[in-house]
Amino acid sequence: MNSLAQFRLDGKRILVTGASSGIGRAIARAVTVAGGSVIASGRNADRLAETVAQCARPAEHVAVVADLTDDSDASRLAESTGTIDGVVHAAGVKAPVPIRVVTRKFIEERFNTNYVSTALLTQRLLAKNRIANGGSILFMSSISAHTGTHGMAIYSATKASLIATAKCLALEVAKRRIRVNCLSPGVVRSPLWDDADPNWLEEMEKRYPLGLGQPEDVANASVFFLADASRWITGQTLIMDGACPWI
Amino acid sequence: MTGDPFSLEGKTILVTGASSGIGRQVAITCAEQGAVLVITGRDTGRLGETLSALSGSQHRAIPADLVASKQRAELIDQCGAIDGLFFSAGIAAIAPCRMISEKHGDQLMAIDFEAPVMLVQRLLQQRRINDGGSIVFNTAIAVHISPAGSAIYSAAKSALHAAARSLALEVAKSRIRVNCLQLGYVRTPMLKRMLSSGVDVKEAEEISPLGFGNPTDAANAAVFLLSDASRWISRTTLTADGGISVRVSH
Repeated sequence: MNSLAQFRLDGKRILVTGASSGIGRAIARAVTVAGGSVIASGRNADRLAETVAQCARPAEHVAVVADLTDDSDASRLAESTGTIDGVVHAAGVKAPVPIRVVTRKFIEERFNTNYVSTALLTQRLLAKNRIANGGSILFMSSISAHTGTHGMAIYSATKASLIATAKCLALEVAKRRIRVNCLSPGVVRSPLWDDADPNWLEEMEKRYPLGLGQPEDVANASVFFLADASRWITGQTLIMDGACPWI
Repeated sequence: MTGDPFSLEGKTILVTGASSGIGRQVAITCAEQGAVLVITGRDTGRLGETLSALSGSQHRAIPADLVASKQRAELIDQCGAIDGLFFSAGIAAIAPCRMISEKHGDQLMAIDFEAPVMLVQRLLQQRRINDGGSIVFNTAIAVHISPAGSAIYSAAKSALHAAARSLALEVAKSRIRVNCLQLGYVRTPMLKRMLSSGVDVKEAEEISPLGFGNPTDAANAAVFLLSDASRWISRTTLTADGGISVRVSH
């Protein structure tokens, strides 16, 4: 038995950025399993093609190679999407650096990747009227926007800035019943942590009563926020962290 | 995870306050998603109406007043093992502080705080909640906004919110999840009663980016929290309120 229509994405076209790996890839896949078609964007052409190949009904989907910190790439992406019913901004990077050693360049690069690119892609999609009425915009924030984490001052700031923006944007697009929300996942087993010390990851796992998250967990929540089931939810941030009492 | 993550097939879900409004719609939508329902409420007649509105079979209605500990115990004796609980029974009685009485305070706390906490206490003591189950408390945006006249109501819902977060840690070892669904203004018979008692919600409707909600909006969010799609989500709050809370600094 299929779910009720409001939990599915049949007939919906969804843009997923950061779709070449990890959480973004899982989101692209889950969107297609729920019946939607995907415009998958990412920097790496091969890995993006692999994402599309892993989707349900691969022939239906489009891969657009783009570096969203590059304005012409971002314009080209917004130009190529056609009308979409939702966008998930899953592109992002992280690396711990204590404040006493950060540089202007580091801060600007991090904000550029995690915040400015997201805000400007949203701007382009709205200016070109790409997002259909009743559509859904989903930002990938992080548990780091809510808790203090050693060495993550800049990353946390970029993720907190998305939450603040989502609340304002929710007001701006409500007249077209477009919704804007954020997900704030805790530590999810994804390639973002490939370079992390495995012992550290194991220690982390112990702090999560339900264990570390899987990319599919974030993907399922994304499907909910993209589907009509959440049509009355806007300006919100859903924390998902396996009941973690403290990080 | 295989199959449709939002499906409730194979799950038994207990819904309180199912005789009207949000509880009724949650029961209906859960049944449409494949769940077997045990519904409870005080009004036997209206509970029967909800029961007859449920698609599928094997559903049961067990009338109970959850403020009475004996009736809670009887309900749990009869309900069997469950995979999900949606606790929706509650009242939103509004009164300015200078008008409230001990009776008003006691009643609201009994219905909106004690009843859900003690129902869960009994369910856990009797081992009625299967591993991997999901508990959802229908709290309110009042936890966040605390409008004038809602001192006791907001306090009761805030107390429930705090209890839910603590409970989530206790039951995580059985992979049972506990979350709050924090709802804004939903068009229900309760809202209608509030309006007819002279409560003015016009401003609230005007400042809500997406206006007031329908019971189906609440029910869809409940399904997400009750289904395996949210298996990693616990000790948190999902706010469904048409966006009204983005205007509140808390």
